[in-house]
Amino acid sequence: MNYITVSKYFVTIILLLVLVAMNNVCLSQVTADSTSKDSLLLKQIEEQMKTAPPPVAPQTRSSLSFNPDIGVIGDFRGSYISKGQRNFDLYLNETEVSLQAAVDPYARADFFLSFARNPETGEYGVEVEEGYLTTLSLPARLQLKVGKFRNAVGRINTVHPHALPFIDMPNAYVNYFGEEGLNDEGFSLSWLLPTKAFYQEIIFQTTSGYTESPAFARSEKNRLLYVSHLKNFFTINDDNTLELGLTGISGPNDSARVSNMAALDLTYKWKPVKLNTYHSLTWQSEFYFNHANLMDNFSVNSFGMYSFIQYQLAKRWFLTGRYDYGQKPFDKTLKENAFSLTAGWYATEFSKLEFETKTTDDNIDKRYYQAWLRWIFVIGAHGAHQY
Amino acid sequence: MKTSNNNSKVTSTVRFTDALKKFNSNWKHIMTKKSFVFLLALGICSGIFADTIKIVTTTTDMKSIAEFIGGNKVSVTSIATGYQNPHFVDPKPSYIISLTKANLFVTVGLDLETGWSPQLLSSSRNTKIQKGSAGYVDASEGVNLLQVPAAANRAEGDIHIYGNPHYWLDPINGKTIARNIANGLERVDPANKSFYEANLVAFNNKIDTKLKEWQGKMAGYKGSKIIAYHNEWVYFETRFGLQIVDFMEPKPGIPPTPSQLVKVIKEVTANKIKVIISSPYFTTSSSDVVAKQTGVKELTLATSVRAFDSVKDYFGLFDYNIDHLITVLK
Repeated sequence: MNYITVSKYFVTIILLLVLVAMNNVCLSQVTADSTSKDSLLLKQIEEQMKTAPPPVAPQTRSSLSFNPDIGVIGDFRGSYISKGQRNFDLYLNETEVSLQAAVDPYARADFFLSFARNPETGEYGVEVEEGYLTTLSLPARLQLKVGKFRNAVGRINTVHPHALPFIDMPNAYVNYFGEEGLNDEGFSLSWLLPTKAFYQEIIFQTTSGYTESPAFARSEKNRLLYVSHLKNFFTINDDNTLELGLTGISGPNDSARVSNMAALDLTYKWKPVKLNTYHSLTWQSEFYFNHANLMDNFSVNSFGMYSFIQYQLAKRWFLTGRYDYGQKPFDKTLKENAFSLTAGWYATEFSKLEFETKTTDDNIDKRYYQAWLRWIFVIGAHGAHQY
Repeated sequence: MKTSNNNSKVTSTVRFTDALKKFNSNWKHIMTKKSFVFLLALGICSGIFADTIKIVTTTTDMKSIAEFIGGNKVSVTSIATGYQNPHFVDPKPSYIISLTKANLFVTVGLDLETGWSPQLLSSSRNTKIQKGSAGYVDASEGVNLLQVPAAANRAEGDIHIYGNPHYWLDPINGKTIARNIANGLERVDPANKSFYEANLVAFNNKIDTKLKEWQGKMAGYKGSKIIAYHNEWVYFETRFGLQIVDFMEPKPGIPPTPSQLVKVIKEVTANKIKVIISSPYFTTSSSDVVAKQTGVKELTLATSVRAFDSVKDYFGLFDYNIDHLITVLK
């Protein structure tokens, strides 16, 4: 370092010191003023007003990394069943890791990885519960989704189980789509209709049939799974809303033939805007009509439904009663009837504790009882739930 | 069948061309000078009305300020109502309808609306108002934030990692909000820049005048100790020299517990506290208990414009709160 550079540094340091000293003097003056008389208050306000509003400098408030929003959801359960040899169980049902972020100005990506024990082998495994890209900039109110996603069937299929107000899935739903629901890989195109009076969205999905469901199976041939869903959402007034959904599914079944399903969902919600965190009511029902072609000149028409009413008693307390009716997609002679009641205590937005009891009757076996306890807990980012 | 179909097509085409000819001759007749001028004026007028900038705001306070800045050049709708908890708005799909057509989206920011507005925005399919686009306004930019936590820990309750988001309750911050909205309007509608700037100056001047009046009214109550239900008054408290001793909630977002009530009752008695302030969206059951035990008054203040029918705009918000506070602090 030569002499000139050293002197330059020296001068800069001196200047900085002078600036700091001046600043201190100004600050002490201000404090002296403000601590003097109260009558000076108005004068000060006037002074403050004469000065222009502070220049608005863009502030950096986002975390300084491009890491996606990460969240982990734990789902711990205890269960009881009145039939079989082992009646009680305790298990971490699922650990879900979510990773969500914008890809670029044109799209966002959402991944949900599920860590769970395989009930048959008892060993832990990982699967991609969902992993998809959603476009943000398609014209004409279109939105395209590609990847693995929960198909747009009715109301509960698109919701992750931890967000549902009951622990077990409705019988009819399990009979047609399995415990995991209809969750497949492919394309989904949604169009927001230009209807002004109410919200209308139509979704078309083409997926390859990887889904593990009793009603639909992967075809050995080129047959794909097609789903279409029309969502109609009506605002009756600020506190009351109604949703009517129509779903059509067509795809290969495990007899290498085609199954067609029509489904209808109806949801009424009462949620007073003013005290919406204290009381609310939801009445939601879904009806499934399935036509399964199993052999030449042999088809099975079956039906299933569920209907639940959820009432929020207080800020943290929820009570849900549900009725299930279900047939099997390949055997309509089996008829299941079930009633269940769930009490939920929602500690915060990030943890809830639920207890459910259920009675199931069918026309083959004798009545049996089930009960579950579930504790859901979330750390990290937690995305919004759909209405 | 085919021939008859073709025939009907031919006749309908003939009818159509006839009608067109008639219309043309009528049109020439109509187009006198006077009617031309009238139609032109009509066209211009309808053009003006059709071109209003559509603004969607998350809250009514942002709506009120946007209306002051945008004047008759804008039409503004707010997603949340004034008497609703802005943390917990239900993302109803019906809100998406207005977002699809919006030119400008104004958010309070600082994660206040994190539970609902990002989902509505991404479902809107409107590229003009996405975060980072010209039509996206984060009204908190440039606000001097209070209560920025040193560490993000949910054991502290519902804390906001960027700072307390209830900053619109300081009228000086209203100026920053107005500046941000004006910037947004000028990005999407640069032709009317001078109009928005003039409205901004008028708005700021009115804030200055009113602030003098409000601070004059509150001057006698400087240092008054009060209890609040939720930690959402820090900006109001700081600007008007109040002192919030404690909250009914033991931690933000956690409902009042018996031990917290005991603590508050002791504080009210020890400090001779006169009032517990709350918001329209919280129940009063817990503060009723404290009131019964200590004789402290309960006051529901307006946290947003339209919290009550009489709170008509951003200035009305402070008028209402200050007038009601003074009455109980006397």
